[in-house]
Amino acid sequence: MTMTTNKDNSHGAMLAQSVGDFVKRGADLPRVRALTQTHAEFDRAQWRQLAELGWLGVLAPESCGGLGLGLAEAAIVAEGLGRALTPEPYTAVAVLAARALEHSADTPLRDELLGGLASGECVPVVACHEQADDIAARRVATTAAPFEGGFRVNGNKQFVIGAAAADGYIVSAQTGAELQLLWVPRDAAGCNTGLIALADGRSYGAVTFRDVVVPREQVLVSGKTARAALDRALDHAAAIASAELVGVMKCAHEMSLDYMKTRVQFGKAIGSFQVLQHRAVDLYIQQELADAVLREVVSQLDAAPDDNTRALLVSRAKSRCAEAALAITRAAIQFHGAIGFTEDCDVGLYVKRAMTLSAWLGNGRAHRVRYALLAAKTEREAA
Amino acid sequence: MSDWNAMNDETFRVEVRTFFDNEFPQQYKFLPRRMRWQECRDWYQKLSKKGWLAPNWPREHGGMGLSPTKLLIYFEETERAGVGRMPDQGITMVGPTLIRFGNDAQRAFFLPKILAGEAIWCQGYSEPNAGSDLASLRTEAMLDGDDYVINGSKIWTSMAHDATHIYVLARSDKQAKKKQEGISFLLVDMKTPGITLRTIRNIAGHEEFCQVFFDNVRTPKKNLVGELHKGWTIAKGLLGFERLNIGSPRRPLQALEKLEALAKARGLLADAAFAERLTQLKLDLADLGSLYGRYVDRARRGEALGQDVSMLKVWSMDTYQRLSELLIEAAGEYGAIDGEVAMGDAHIDVLSPFYNSRPGTIYGGSNEIQRNILAKYVLNLPS
Repeated sequence: MTMTTNKDNSHGAMLAQSVGDFVKRGADLPRVRALTQTHAEFDRAQWRQLAELGWLGVLAPESCGGLGLGLAEAAIVAEGLGRALTPEPYTAVAVLAARALEHSADTPLRDELLGGLASGECVPVVACHEQADDIAARRVATTAAPFEGGFRVNGNKQFVIGAAAADGYIVSAQTGAELQLLWVPRDAAGCNTGLIALADGRSYGAVTFRDVVVPREQVLVSGKTARAALDRALDHAAAIASAELVGVMKCAHEMSLDYMKTRVQFGKAIGSFQVLQHRAVDLYIQQELADAVLREVVSQLDAAPDDNTRALLVSRAKSRCAEAALAITRAAIQFHGAIGFTEDCDVGLYVKRAMTLSAWLGNGRAHRVRYALLAAKTEREAA
Repeated sequence: MSDWNAMNDETFRVEVRTFFDNEFPQQYKFLPRRMRWQECRDWYQKLSKKGWLAPNWPREHGGMGLSPTKLLIYFEETERAGVGRMPDQGITMVGPTLIRFGNDAQRAFFLPKILAGEAIWCQGYSEPNAGSDLASLRTEAMLDGDDYVINGSKIWTSMAHDATHIYVLARSDKQAKKKQEGISFLLVDMKTPGITLRTIRNIAGHEEFCQVFFDNVRTPKKNLVGELHKGWTIAKGLLGFERLNIGSPRRPLQALEKLEALAKARGLLADAAFAERLTQLKLDLADLGSLYGRYVDRARRGEALGQDVSMLKVWSMDTYQRLSELLIEAAGEYGAIDGEVAMGDAHIDVLSPFYNSRPGTIYGGSNEIQRNILAKYVLNLPS
């Protein structure tokens, strides 16, 4: 694996080593297979372990107990967790929430949340989406009405990955024309978390806020800065979700290639049939395109010159990685034949994780639509 | 009994629609999986009493003898009403096979039992090491007195746990020069001592198929279909009926119904790019209907279906998968959710067509195998 990092390459190499060791354990597969029955998508002990490895705090500033590294390093971790099918909400917390907090106002609450995030003691989760295909979460009907001492929040949020584990939410809400990000503890009066089961046994939170009282000191950031913080956090999270997808697709394709070498029909390994060879190669090309765009994007994102450039890069990555992961995992069923369609076969677990990761934070189609709109805008501005 | 084919198409459609809407049990409409026998027994009997159970059989054997146009209407209304898929192999495969290859005694004994719901069939074809390479099967049947004695095992036997009978391909002559020679086609009562089942769960968690074990299972000589050691011809004839059945537009229609409902609920039809893709798939299905009609006509005239019937299966299952994939894509973030999803007024199970369509390119001869068959036909290659 080659990588460029913001600070120095030894961090990347060390991370790659520890991620490789974690993946090799393969400890998450039995748990993931049982998820539809157990719903145990969050294991506190495993979360603490991810924190001790420094992975949760990979982006968080060193002053808050994090490593203060960049997206290239976060991608190394995410790819490994994708391979291992780890169900814990790494990207939702260590990237989406971390980035939203990092660009919030410099308050004691922010530092406390970032510190808790990096140490694994607090699980903050962003709740900002209200409608599907709204990548940047711009449609905000949730309101934060001012009153003496704070705000009253009313509204509904959807598609909240990590809600099962959340200790509280970073909620987007409108106060008049101004967007705010507010911290709402999960157990705040009027805050209710519903869980909707996903294909891979994890869940989306459907979080409702009914007259939730938010004291002024729980406002994280307001106005244009809030919009900018959320935009950037969502883009960075979509890029790292793409890294998880790369891990999922590589592992699934390796399983297919291994199977093609061992399954014998008509007296030979099925991998000797040209039709399957070509199919495997076409999918390998998709995998390498996905890996290449991901590496390029994560190396450029931290220093992207403007919002448009950043969003275009991210949409390129998510579109390719989502489609490639879906194509590769679906084909893995076909390569494995009937056994690939059984509950007992690991292939199905990868298919399902590819489905949930590609849908979350905008699927391939949504990102291509956004790319087309932004590319046109960029051209207009250049003209 | 009415002559359905003499009826005006619209009159026939209204009659079928009214019957399905009024009589199919509400609680099983749009079931995301195949129906179990205990769930569909009453419906099966109801169809049987009305003479509507076997739309594809000739009238002289108790079927409806429908013309291609009427048969398509029947299937369209089946899917529009959300009528579930029953254990239907007796109707779609065994009946037509006995009509073509069986003897009078076998037809007189088994056809009425199929129509009465007393004989529910499953298919003893695939084995753990004989999937695409079916002719390498090892289950054997040896004559002993007045019985054939069967030993071995079959796998991926759909709905075997609901079946009363199984048709088995077994090796009756181990000295035969070619592996396709020395195979016989036998009918077996599932209650015969020596048969045991192991159910297998599919990727969606449903117990859809089984492994069937045969330990000195005796079936009388009269249950041999066609000649001894010449079962491969009959096996292929039955596969032709299976390909005609799988190649009908019925299953893809199930996905199209859901896709159109979702497009409406999400307001996607106003999006020209989406409308074009949806239309492409609708036309793929409409044109499949036209091609399908040719083969239904052949079957009605009692002609051999020919190897080219594989085209139907390839295109039908390919279209089914593309429809189910567009359904997920069009669902955006909802495309990750397991089970029914509420979108506006609609409740749509987004993922079930995906799961249901996956084995379609594997079972009944994988689409790769169908293309090999077609290549021989199209290029006139030696077999």
